[in-house]
Order: sequence, then C-alpha cells, then structure tokens
Amino acid sequence: MAKDKVIQSKNVIEINDLTFSYKADPGKKAVDNINLVIPKGQFVVIMGPSGAGKSTLANSLNGLIPGFLKGKYIGEVLINGKKVKGRQVSEMAREIGLVFQDFEAQLFSTNVNLELAFGPENFQIEREEIVRRINHVLKTVKLEGFEKRQPATLSGGQKQRLAIGSVLATYPDIICMDEPTTDLDPIGKLGIFNIAKELHESSEFTLLIVEHETEEALNADRLIIMGGGKILKDGKPELILSDVQFTDSVGIMSLQIPSYFKRLLNISKDKLPLDPKSGVSMFLDKKIIFNEDKYKEIIKSEDERKASYGKLILTVNNLVHIYPNGNKAVDDISFDIREREFMAILGHNGSGKTTLVKHFNSLLSPTEGNVKVYGNNTREHSIFEIGKDIGYVFQNPDHQIFADTVFEEVAFSPKIRGIKDEEVKVRVAEALKAVDLEGYEEEDPFSLSKGERQRVAVASILSARPKIIILDEPTTGLDYSEQKKMMELIKQLNMAGHTIIMITHTMWVVSEYAHRVAVIRDGRVIMDDRTRIVFAEEEKLKKSFLRTPHIVSLSNQVGKTVLSVGEMLACTGGNK
Amino acid sequence: MDMFLYVDNNSGLHRLDPRTKLIIMLMSFTVAVMFMNIIILALLMLLVIIYGGIGRVLGNLKRIRMVLIMITLFSLAIWTIARDSSDKVFIFSLEGLFYGIMIALKTNTMIIAGMVFLSSTKIEEISEGLVKFKIPYRGAFAFATAIRLVPMIVATSYTIIQAQKSRGLDLDSGNLLQKIKKYLPLMIPTIISVIRSTNIFSMALESKGFGYSSKRTNYLFLILKWKDYFMLGFGILLLTAAILLKTNTEVFGDFVSQFPWSDFSGKLQWSL
Repeated sequence: MAKDKVIQSKNVIEINDLTFSYKADPGKKAVDNINLVIPKGQFVVIMGPSGAGKSTLANSLNGLIPGFLKGKYIGEVLINGKKVKGRQVSEMAREIGLVFQDFEAQLFSTNVNLELAFGPENFQIEREEIVRRINHVLKTVKLEGFEKRQPATLSGGQKQRLAIGSVLATYPDIICMDEPTTDLDPIGKLGIFNIAKELHESSEFTLLIVEHETEEALNADRLIIMGGGKILKDGKPELILSDVQFTDSVGIMSLQIPSYFKRLLNISKDKLPLDPKSGVSMFLDKKIIFNEDKYKEIIKSEDERKASYGKLILTVNNLVHIYPNGNKAVDDISFDIREREFMAILGHNGSGKTTLVKHFNSLLSPTEGNVKVYGNNTREHSIFEIGKDIGYVFQNPDHQIFADTVFEEVAFSPKIRGIKDEEVKVRVAEALKAVDLEGYEEEDPFSLSKGERQRVAVASILSARPKIIILDEPTTGLDYSEQKKMMELIKQLNMAGHTIIMITHTMWVVSEYAHRVAVIRDGRVIMDDRTRIVFAEEEKLKKSFLRTPHIVSLSNQVGKTVLSVGEMLACTGGNK
Repeated sequence: MDMFLYVDNNSGLHRLDPRTKLIIMLMSFTVAVMFMNIIILALLMLLVIIYGGIGRVLGNLKRIRMVLIMITLFSLAIWTIARDSSDKVFIFSLEGLFYGIMIALKTNTMIIAGMVFLSSTKIEEISEGLVKFKIPYRGAFAFATAIRLVPMIVATSYTIIQAQKSRGLDLDSGNLLQKIKKYLPLMIPTIISVIRSTNIFSMALESKGFGYSSKRTNYLFLILKWKDYFMLGFGILLLTAAILLKTNTEVFGDFVSQFPWSDFSGKLQWSL
C-alpha cells in the first residue's frame, strides 16, 4: 500500500533485552530477555505452547504493554525507530496494526463501511480519502459486496477478515495478528492465510502472525518458536519444522510427514520431506512397501470394535429445524447412534451442526421429525429429564464456570439433581480423577489455565454420570499438548463406556480419535461413515473445505487410507 | 439471532439527519409529559406511529410487545384500584380506569418514540449527531457503546443459560429465594464474559487509533436538508400549538369541558 515513506532504518521492529512481568503475577516473567530484529517486508510466524509469551510479545509491539496492561517492564521496543514505551497506543496504531483472536469483541460498527472508516477517522483522514481506502481494503480482505452488512450477520471468517481490514485501513507498515484463526472453521482459516499470503506478496508489509497450525507456518519467511518467555528457535520454517525431535520437545505439533520418515528411515533432518507431495516421491524413491496384511489387521480390529457397540441409544428421524427468522438450519437429517460409538461432526460455521446436536439434549425442539434418546422422544421430555442421560460440554468453559472452588463447580450438577452429600463427594472425586485434576478441589477455577478450565467443565458434566457426552469444539483455543491431553481424556471416557458425540474443526483430532464422521453442509448430512472411509475421499472433503491431515494424504496416494503416523509405520515395516 | 434494534431500510425517515430525529423524539417526549389528557395523548401516539410507519420500523415493536402490553395492563389494573375518586364501587372506580388509560398512553408513546428513533438511526449517526450538538466525542462514543453492549450481553447470557440448563439448572421450580439463588450460575459467567470482552474491545479501540487526537474526521456526511427543515418546522409548529393550548386557560378550559372524561390536569372535576 503506497504511503509516503521516508527511507528509514531497514529494521521495522527492534526489541532489546525485553523482560516483562504482569502486575497480577509479578513473580513470573511473561517474556524473558527477548532480543529480536525484524527487517521490513518479512513474513514472520510465531509459535509456541500456551504461556510461552507470544501474546505478551505481540501486545508490547503497539504499546498495549506497558500502557494498557501494566507490569514490570525492562528493556525497549522500537517500532520504525520509535520507542514504544511512553507513547500512546493510539499513536503507535499509525505504525503497527494489531488484530486479536476474539473477532466478536473487535467489531462494533453498524455496517462494514463504518467499521473500516473508524481507524482513518481517528487519524483525521479526509472523507474522500476514507472512501478510497474503504474500497481498497474491501478488495484486499475480499468483502466487496458486503459494504452495507451488519458485522453481526457475517460468518466467523468474514468477521475476522473485517477485523483485519479495519486495521489495514489506517495503512500501517506492520500488521501483527494474535492467533487470528483459532476460532475459525477451515474455510475461515484458509481465507485468512490467503490474505496474509497476498499482503506479503503484493506489498512491503511486515507481517507477524501468532499461530498454532504447523502446516500453515511453512509459507512464512521466518519462524520463531517461543517457550517459557524466551525465543527458543528462530530461522527458516523448513529447517525448524523438520527437526521433529525439537518440535516434539517444546509441545507444538510436529509435521507428520518428516515425523514419519524420520522414524521409518532415520535419515538426517535436512533430507526429510515436509509435505505430502515430496513425501510421496520419497516413498516411491526408497521403494517402501505397503504391507497389506498389516492393513487388514487394522481393518479387522476396527470391524471388531464396530461389532462390539451396544444397543441403539439415539435416533434422529427426518429432523428439520427452522429458526423463527425463517432460517432452515437443519434440513431433513436422519441417523442412529449406538452405545459406545465415538462420532465426530464436521462442517463449517453455520452448517447447522450445533443446531443439530442441541436437539439431542432437548435444548432445541424439532420443527419437523423426531429425536429419541434411550427411547424417549425429546419433544415430550424436558431438558432436565433428558439431561440425566446426555451431558453437553459447551465450547467455552467460561460460559459455565461460576463457583469459587473446583469442588463446588463439579458438585453443581449432582447437587441440583438432589443427590446426597456423601454420594456427591464420591462423584466429584470420580469426575476429577477422570479429567486428571485430583487435588484441585479447593482451587479457584478462574485461576486455572484454559486447558484446565476446559477439563473442569468436562468434569462438571461427568459428575452427573451421563451415558452420552456431547462436546462442542473441546480442543479450540488449546495448544497441542493440551489438545492431546483433552483427547486422551475423551478416549478414556469412550473406552469406559460413554458414547461420544463431538463437534470439531481439528482434522488430526478426528483422524486419530473418532470412529465415525458425519460431514454436514447447509443443514444436510453429505457424508456419514467410518472415519477411514470418509477420509479416503479427499476430493469430496475438499469441496466442503476440509483437508485431511498430511499423513492421510500421503497414505491415500501410496496405498490405503491410514489415520495416524503410528498406523503408517505399522503398515510400512516400521516399529510401533 | 439479531440483537440490534436498528432496521436497515432506506426510507425517508432513515435518510433524515440524526439531529432532526433526536429533536423530534425529544419534542414528542415533551408533549407526552406536558399533558394529562387522553385525547391529546392518543393523537400524539397516532402521530408517532405514523412517523414510525414512514420508516417501516414498526415491526420492531413486536419485539417489545410484551413490555407494551404489560405496561398497559398494569396501569389499568393499578389505577382502577388505587386512584382516589368519588365514584368507587367496592375498590374499583371508573375514573381510575380512565386515568390508567391516560398513563398507559403516555408511557407507551414515549417508549414507541424511543424505539422508532433507535430503529431508524445507526449508532454512529447517534454519536455523530450528539457531537454536532457539541457533546464531546468521547462522551458521545461512550453513550453509543452502552447501547451496543446490550445486544452483546443478551447474546452471551443466552448461551450461558443454555450451558447451565444442560447441567441441570431448572429455573422454573422453587420459591423466590431459591430462584434468586439459581441465577448465580448465570450472573457470574455473564459478568466475567462481559468484562473480558469489554477489555478486548477497549484494546482493539486503542489499536485502531481511538483517542489519537480530540478531533477526528467523519465518514458519515451529516447535513440538514430541506426534508429536515420541513420536519423540524412541522414539529416546532405542533409543539408551539401544544404549548399555546396548555397555557391559554380559556381555550383549554373550553376543550376540557367538552370532554370532561378525558382530562386529569385538575381543571375540572372528572366526569363521564
């Protein structure tokens, strides 16, 4: 974006010995002696587990730290040669734009145009120029034709693009996005990555993105890995991500392709392929043999698992749901679920999957058709009754946590159902054990990490001993090791006899854990089968903007569909 | 779910300058407060409804129909009993009933006028209108933000109610004290979510340069056109007429003596 630029220092960001601890937690250094120089025009991705200091770093770039979020600040941050400390955030906004994860809270205008105009208005840009900028930015973030729409009526991905646009409209030199895609569905994510790529290619923008998705980091010029407030690695993404040992050790998700070849062939990391395409050529070059017998064993154990499912416990018959505003969210869906199944429901935001599952515990009543849970028609039974058999873990644990202690929180559900104190204690202990939070009874739930709060939320559902558990995006907002922990927990619950119905956007989670997948689009089920069978149809999934994990793509091209690195190793002669 | 009151039409009402709409609303409030007369208040309500009809925003009244109905029922019931009058039969009085009608008209007219204003004026226009009235931008923005927060809180609490119901919270049973206690699991997560989002909201505001300077330009182009002057003129005419009627005891007395059942300003003993 053209702006009269004085030739200045080529380094747009310069951080010298930055150490910061928040006022609320003075003992902990959120970032610890950071030194970082970023030249103009670079595309940098920052990764790391929760609590690594990524957001702290991002917020210190435009002065939110120390201006807005107070604490002990040592060292200095220079943006375009200007010292950030001591300047207003609004002044820094001319140089650097910040986009946050929570797109709902960032948007506040009545329509898209006004949202984009807000920034330039603050900088007293003339009206004609604002109009020009709006048209320009609309094109960049691909929201042409949405000028008059209310932000609330846009999809998640469009909202986040608008949030980016509203920052772009002030024409800053640097854009920093703090986990912009975390809350988005696959289409939404793709939209953001495409914009990032185009911004980077078509202009002199310096772009910083804090991200969780390893597979997307490959597009960046430079990857920075943080951990414990420090920069652990800084370099070319290919080099860092092919070091599987390192990524495993810091708790970010390792790329599956190098991970597989490393374990299979034990070749040096600079020779490892990174994506499915180069994986396929190495697979063929090295003449690796796909062992059909091993594969049949896997299929056989899957067949046995299917045969072991219990009786029919949930049936959906020709379900239709039309909202009062006339929107048909669920359009003639029918399926059955047996006891001990583990079902994942995939589909973009607004596809109707949440509306669908809200019928299962009687939160919503069908417009047409029926839902029966253990033979009880949900139309005829209240949520209080149906809720005894079926628990629902909402996406955001903060929408349900209210008690002073973890014990009280988990005890809420059994208590409200009139269960005696002695029995309540037993149930809380059992639930906390299941989520691996024993000894946390007297903790304040609000002081726990997001991952822990999510587990408290699961425990508070488990304490009612439901037979079926619905989970709405249980891994969103968690880092890889927390995601893994959450999924292992859900797997344990499933093996202990619970039936699991899970809404998710995270494909590797589906691939490694779900027995069965239903793909929903525009209120209809377009695919519903064993995970392996659904994931074999990559092209069809792509049409719903769903991409299989790398290892699945590789296997689809060289043999049969496998669902994890472990399975692939088992089928190709590697050790388990 | 759409929580915003604003209805995005392109009607003559929507195209009026926000200042005009604000003044017209205030004028209708003034008249409503000034009179205790059923006929005048009914005329005023009719005018307000026609005014809203021009903007095709009356559909929004459906959303507050319960409020309007409850106000009507309550004031009818309460004043029929509570109004101190000479024609009491047991505890009921006809004068009280008419008094209740008058109060219901007065209150509902003001609510409808407010609703028409909010349904036809963008929040940005309201704050820009206030700025044009020399209210500092920060103040105007704070006012506009408060209006914006309402739908956000409603949406969040809706999700929270569903989450807690799924855990077995049963809001319908129990006595009053038990019911109040049951709202705790709803209140705390709502408050915490709202605090959290307002925090991000203010960070996002500053990150877009809010408060960079006390002056700012405006994308919305506000200018008073002939339609605005016409509407304002019409409003001022009616207001002046109303004031004249109110202050001219002779004319007003004549009017009241024609319809003694309609008036409660104390000029004349009420009678049918």
